Amino acid sequence: MKRFVALKVNGEEYDIDIEPNRLLLHALREDVGLTGTKEGCSIGVCGACSVIVDGKLVSSCLTLALACQGKEITTIEGLAKDGRLHPLQQAFLEYGGFQCGVCTPGQIMAAKALLDANPNPTEEEVKEWMSGNLCRCTGYYKILEAVMAAAHNKISSDFQVKHERKTAKIQSLNVYKDS
Amino acid sequence: MGFELLQPRSLAEALEMKKSYGEEAKVLAGGTDFLVLLKDQKLKAEVVMSLRGIRELNFIRHEEGKGVTLGALATHGAVAASAIIRQRFPDLAEACAQVGAVQVQNLGTVGGNLCNASPAADAAPPLLLMDASLILASARGERRISIHDFFQGPRRTVLQADEILKEIFIPQIPGRRGATYLKLGRRKAMEIAIVGIGVAIHLNGSDQVVSDCRIALGSVAPTPLRARHGEEILRNQEIRDELIEEAAEVAAEEASPISDVRASREYRLDMIRVLCRRAIPAALASARGNKVEGLS
Ligand SMILES: Cc1cc2nc3c(=O)[nH]c(=O)nc-3n(C[C@H](O)[C@H](O)[C@H](O)COP(=O)(O)OP(=O)(O)OC[C@H]3O[C@@H](n4cnc5c(N)ncnc54)[C@H](O)[C@@H]3O)c2cc1C
Ligand code: FES
Ligand code: FES
Repeated sequence: MKRFVALKVNGEEYDIDIEPNRLLLHALREDVGLTGTKEGCSIGVCGACSVIVDGKLVSSCLTLALACQGKEITTIEGLAKDGRLHPLQQAFLEYGGFQCGVCTPGQIMAAKALLDANPNPTEEEVKEWMSGNLCRCTGYYKILEAVMAAAHNKISSDFQVKHERKTAKIQSLNVYKDS
Repeated sequence: MGFELLQPRSLAEALEMKKSYGEEAKVLAGGTDFLVLLKDQKLKAEVVMSLRGIRELNFIRHEEGKGVTLGALATHGAVAASAIIRQRFPDLAEACAQVGAVQVQNLGTVGGNLCNASPAADAAPPLLLMDASLILASARGERRISIHDFFQGPRRTVLQADEILKEIFIPQIPGRRGATYLKLGRRKAMEIAIVGIGVAIHLNGSDQVVSDCRIALGSVAPTPLRARHGEEILRNQEIRDELIEEAAEVAAEEASPISDVRASREYRLDMIRVLCRRAIPAALASARGNKVEGLS
């Protein structure tokens, strides 16, 4: 039998009706409609579904949505503020911390939880903490570089402006016109 | 597979529910074993009782001169980060820090690790070293049993249909204690132990003569176990390489590992010897470095 639950995601409340066995992962993607959180293994091993619940990094595929009533849930969609990327998001772009991107939301959420707890980690600490986030594309070094860059503020201040300008220029070429 | 979810807010409420539903209501703590078993259809549940909302079960309490109590909802992450556990029971902190990775440590509980009764449960060997006791509660009352009597086989414990594990008590140990937990897996994270070994050394007065040595093994028998004959070889002795060698041999003889997808029986027996040879000196060094007397 479906039950009502109010989930607080990225500061906003979502009222949804779900079966008691609904996993937080599926509630976020299918009921709330935030598909940034990815499903990889579904058994807690890959880290793709990592989200932050009441300040703690957890696998949303190992969490019942009903158990999250009243808790603060943060997903990848909650990081960018006022049209500005979170430093970690920018660092992943600037340092090429992803290829296909499937693991990336989980990687960034894991890195955020780390930097929230330890703003100045060593490379070893980053590797240890992120050992539960698998990536089948990058070989990990780019991810490590991106996290270290975000931690040490080695991201360019004008990245976003340049990026927006570049996007505008591409769009002005009209090559993606519907025909 | 749908189920009905019970969400008691207090221990008393949970025990009443367990009384009326009995075996039918499956207990859920962190869910890191439970939800995976359910998904793989190795477990069937029509009624699930989540303990997550019971605040009174989520604590780590230290009482000087008595010991440390872990509430059933204390997670691996909380235990690994606890200052008192790290100082007095580093083997347990090391074991909890090696469960899965952060995402699993923040959900999984030490209580669930024990109740799940996997031979590979990482928290079990340290708690066996500490002669921990478990407080099992039901609407009928509470009983305290030794961890040595808790496991009955893979995935089987003495928990009755109407009982839940309420807390884990770790008694303070007289003298200086040093200990370590070594885990061998194919990779460091998200990996079940091929062999897990806990060793504790107790020193009382002398830095040379070991007043007690305890060895616990995981993943090498139907339940985690103490290697009591191996321990005997080092007790009240000055530790020498020949004795470590002998204790490692004897400890391996006490195990009865199987061959499975992770490793063969022979490899596991070999690794018990190797890990004993590493863990015993490490535990001794930790005891010598420990300036905190267990008993005040
Ligand atoms: C990706 C991944 C990696 C893992 N790595 C490791 C590892 O390295 N080492 C390791 O030891 N384990 C590992 N595990 C297994 C699991 O995380 C641990 O065993 C964990 O401690 C289980 O605790 P839980 O709170 O999640 O238990 P749950 O899954 O909620 O419950 C487990 C079992 O115990 C019962 N139970 C739980 N609490 C109680 C209680 N208070 N009273 C009565 N019954 C209870 C439940 O009914 C169920 O049968 C891993 C799991 C995953 C998914
Ligand atoms: S999908 Fe949750 S950890 Fe892989
Ligand atoms: S970028 Fe493809 S899996 Fe990590």
